[in-house]
Amino acid sequence: MKSLRRTSTPIVWAMLLMVVLSACGNAAPRSTATDPASNTSAETTATATSGNTLEAIKSAGVLKVGLMGTYAPYNFLNANKEVDGFDADIAKEVAKRLGVKAEFTTQAFSGLIPSLQAGKFDAIISQVTITDERKQQLDFSDPYITNQVKIIVNANNTDITKLADFKDKNIGVGLGTNDETYLRTEVLPQVGNFNIKTYNDVITSLQDLNVGRIDATINNIYALKPIVEENGFKIKAVGDAIKSDQAGIAIRKDNPDLLKALNKALTDMKADGTYETIFVKWFGEKPAAE
Amino acid sequence: MQLVWDNLPFLLKGAGYTLLITIISMFFGLIIGVIVAIARMQGNRPIRWIARFYVSIIRGTPVLVQLVIVYYGLTDYGITLDAIPAACIALSINIGAYLSETFRGAILSIPKGQTEAAYATGMTSAQTMWRIILPQAARTAIPPMGNTFIGMLKETSLVSVITVTDLLRSADLLIAQYYVYMPFYIGIAIMYWIMSTIFSTILERIERRLAKAY
Repeated sequence: MKSLRRTSTPIVWAMLLMVVLSACGNAAPRSTATDPASNTSAETTATATSGNTLEAIKSAGVLKVGLMGTYAPYNFLNANKEVDGFDADIAKEVAKRLGVKAEFTTQAFSGLIPSLQAGKFDAIISQVTITDERKQQLDFSDPYITNQVKIIVNANNTDITKLADFKDKNIGVGLGTNDETYLRTEVLPQVGNFNIKTYNDVITSLQDLNVGRIDATINNIYALKPIVEENGFKIKAVGDAIKSDQAGIAIRKDNPDLLKALNKALTDMKADGTYETIFVKWFGEKPAAE
Repeated sequence: MQLVWDNLPFLLKGAGYTLLITIISMFFGLIIGVIVAIARMQGNRPIRWIARFYVSIIRGTPVLVQLVIVYYGLTDYGITLDAIPAACIALSINIGAYLSETFRGAILSIPKGQTEAAYATGMTSAQTMWRIILPQAARTAIPPMGNTFIGMLKETSLVSVITVTDLLRSADLLIAQYYVYMPFYIGIAIMYWIMSTIFSTILERIERRLAKAY
């Protein structure tokens, strides 16, 4: 009897776990749909803690911005250990025009969108490419930069010059990035099978490309320039741009006031030359005419 | 290594967070561990079951998953925790489960005669626990506890996933700035090692101290 009971305990636990999990699964929609009291309280805590609206941002005096912090020259830590780069300057300028200060939180790219959704910050300004998929989850400001994405290979590599050459190769890409989605949903079906390795920052992917653990990666040329220069990686960009991406400021859905204010700030920046100054500062060239 | 030296203040700040989270989680983990260990030896069946269930879930899932659930998952229920409290809560709950097993083993290792003798002198079971059993069990529990703590110190390196700039994340940020890898990783390896050595030394001292009583 005793031994029988012992063997059955894991099964009982598994059942218990299922009960608990299904309860959790049901709890969320139930509390928001049928229980107005808990719904409003959840909403008020969200606004109080995360600044859901333009008003909350203004009253707090802070625009909380999430970014990678490992993606020079867009966003990285400078010698004084402050968040710096093109994205950071755009964020500061936008915040200034909202009459508040920008406050930065750095996190691996794959965690940024979950953090935004969970109300940990108000906006992501970290080269988040505007895609239809993401638009279902997030709202985007007008684009604030257009990036050209190219194929990057080891300097000794001669057999990859276009996407079709990816077949049966190891291709590196940033985890959770638009480039990863692009490889999986558009390139894979066209080209046939290749192996995708995901990385949490650009440098690790280039390092692996340099030593030959992957055969190619795709990335935008602005991001690569400083890394290659400083590091002496023997890698090169090949072929024409495979696509060009537009990045926007990502915010949680249903914040029309904030979206409007962000767009106005961006438009004004472009009109009065501030945007161009920031662009030239980081990329050494003028932005392409829109 | 010059780079590591130049950026030591920044790395030390990260190490500070690592230490802070480790110590806070240990403290609460200890409390949880004792409570759960005692709960698992209760005559009361539901309490025993809940405790067993808790230990089983925590030991059977990765810490990383627990961290993410506490940090992101709870926001669906209107609980938005800052990263460091979330890390401390998740790790306390985690370490509590492991320690409870250590303590349970230690308590069970005390001969039954001790309990019987305590009852014979007219102590209640609570008094027996606190005055007779736990002090002796603590001695047995110290070495495995040391292992748990040092494991904990290293497991904190996962908290970067929920935006804490701990020692590991500090190194990652520096790598992105200077584009060199090895010096920073070797540097933080040494820092982790120093921290765990300090912990081990403290625990050895406590062990010796407790041994003196006999």
